[in-house]
Amino acid sequence: MKDPVLTVEGLEVRFQGAAGEIPAVQGASFSVHRGEVLCIVGESGCGKSITSLSVMGLLPGSAEAEGHIRFDGRDLLRLNREEIRQIRGNDISMIFQEPMTSLNPVFTVGFQLMEPLVVHRNLSKKQAFEEAVRLLERVGIPDPGRRMEQYPHELSGGMRQRVMIAIALSCEPKLLIADEPTTALDVTIQAQILELILKLKEDTGMSVILITHDMGVVAETADRVLVMYAGKVVEEADVRTLFEDPKHPYTKGLLRSMPNVDDDTYTLEAIPGTLPKPGEIQQGCPFHPRCPEAMDRCREENPRVFTHRPGHMSRCWLAEEEDQDHAGESVG
Amino acid sequence: MATDTAVTTDVQVEAPIPDQQNRVKTVWRKLLQNRWAAVGIVIITLQVIMAVFAPLLTSYDPTAQDLSVKERPPGSEGHWLGTDEFGRDLWSRILYGARISLIVGISSVLLGLIGGVLMGLLAGYYRWLDGPFMRLMDLMFAFPGILLAMLIIAMLGTSLVNVVIAISVWSIPSCARIVRGSVLSLKNQEFVLALRSNGASDIRILFKHILPNCTAPIIVFGTMRMATAILSTSALSFLGLGAQPPTPEWGAMIAAGRDFMWTSPHMTIVPGIAIMLVVFAFNVVGDGLRDALDPNMEVR
Repeated sequence: MKDPVLTVEGLEVRFQGAAGEIPAVQGASFSVHRGEVLCIVGESGCGKSITSLSVMGLLPGSAEAEGHIRFDGRDLLRLNREEIRQIRGNDISMIFQEPMTSLNPVFTVGFQLMEPLVVHRNLSKKQAFEEAVRLLERVGIPDPGRRMEQYPHELSGGMRQRVMIAIALSCEPKLLIADEPTTALDVTIQAQILELILKLKEDTGMSVILITHDMGVVAETADRVLVMYAGKVVEEADVRTLFEDPKHPYTKGLLRSMPNVDDDTYTLEAIPGTLPKPGEIQQGCPFHPRCPEAMDRCREENPRVFTHRPGHMSRCWLAEEEDQDHAGESVG
Repeated sequence: MATDTAVTTDVQVEAPIPDQQNRVKTVWRKLLQNRWAAVGIVIITLQVIMAVFAPLLTSYDPTAQDLSVKERPPGSEGHWLGTDEFGRDLWSRILYGARISLIVGISSVLLGLIGGVLMGLLAGYYRWLDGPFMRLMDLMFAFPGILLAMLIIAMLGTSLVNVVIAISVWSIPSCARIVRGSVLSLKNQEFVLALRSNGASDIRILFKHILPNCTAPIIVFGTMRMATAILSTSALSFLGLGAQPPTPEWGAMIAAGRDFMWTSPHMTIVPGIAIMLVVFAFNVVGDGLRDALDPNMEVR
């Protein structure tokens, strides 16, 4: 692969809770290459949002992050507040799940769009206005001149998400993190927003980390996929491999819980049980209570990372015999 | 794209009016629909007119003594509200008193708001400041308000300026509490996270984005506080801690009239009614504003 834009190595995030330390992310490692879409998949609470917030340096105060997050030759976890703030918005941008609440209700769309242009790119008011109109056009908002004057509540959810994307793109970031950008939108709008993100990615050559729990979204957008479970990366593969030859039972479960309208004989299956609370399982594989293929060994020993072929790794004992290099190159 | 744009464009093609003006209009209309608030607005407007045009509304100097007409009852020739024990025209004293109570009220509320908003914003946004700031506010809350004001005046000396300082200091804790509460709920909203993810600095987020979202509670607090401030100014002046004679301050006028309660009750009753009306007006307008600014509340 080409040069990585972002490399995460052994990321550990812990929260200081009332009942002691709660691990949210345990040793996640991955990288994002230039112009690539990396999807991070998993259930709510598996640590995917926390991973992205650590990249942005936006973890809540009660959280503590360790490991390395390398971006542009710098370790983001070791920058001071001011340095990481300079990177946010300029080099890495983020869009969020709730377009309804992601814009400040008391300011016009134009004001909020022009603000980063004036602050980060030192444009004059007039230049910023023209640039903002151009950005709105670029994200497919018709009649952008008038939209600039409107308040967020006058726009639909899809429109607001487009505005959020326009704001995120205003400083031409190298990396866009999209945290469930379509979860709160109608299905028809979902496809449009995903298409828009992919198109903008093609135009600008930026990389995208797309966080989702929807395997349908993964199939449509991803180049590579990271499956997370209970704070650990359990499988990593390119999208084709993942759909055709999933190794981890959790990935298989996720794929079976995706509706398939083309196939009449297909039955939708849910993964039984729920995600364990962080820190709940101390012994064995965190997935074993829900795993249909669990063995005795799974209850006792936490599996290490096995490599099936270059770029396809999983964290499951079932993969041991297939393991290519017994060194067990660490994925996470 | 077509589906989600079609809906919004169709509805608002003919709506070029900026929304901010619309909102002010809506709040104003709701406020006037509230009968008591409308009465309050009339009283406040009258007070403002009296204060601004005082020299045009009377030909008497409020401090000029004329012992030939002392203690005249209301309705006397040339003095429709009567005169006081030195023959000073009560109507001109009320007019100039309106000016004093308005100036003292506005300046003490503004000073209090500046201090309170600043402390509230910082305490709400920075966790590490929350404890120390709010304990300080609790300390101030522990004093009865008027006692705190008296303490400050005892330290600074008696004058109207010191009354302003005392009342504004006393307004800080309640204002800080209100603002802190709003900030606490606002700072966890997604738009703040979105701003931070775009590299906005804390100062920018706090003053440019969170503060404008707190305007409604601040406006309501400020209006209600005007009533308290005017009443406290009069109370302090009544106790001899504020305006000194011959300043035509309403509270001081009541204090002076006390000795003539049986012979010339109008000397206390007239400024008393003035204080009562103004305090009442600011209270009902504050109440009305609270309802009008609350989008969840429908006017009956």
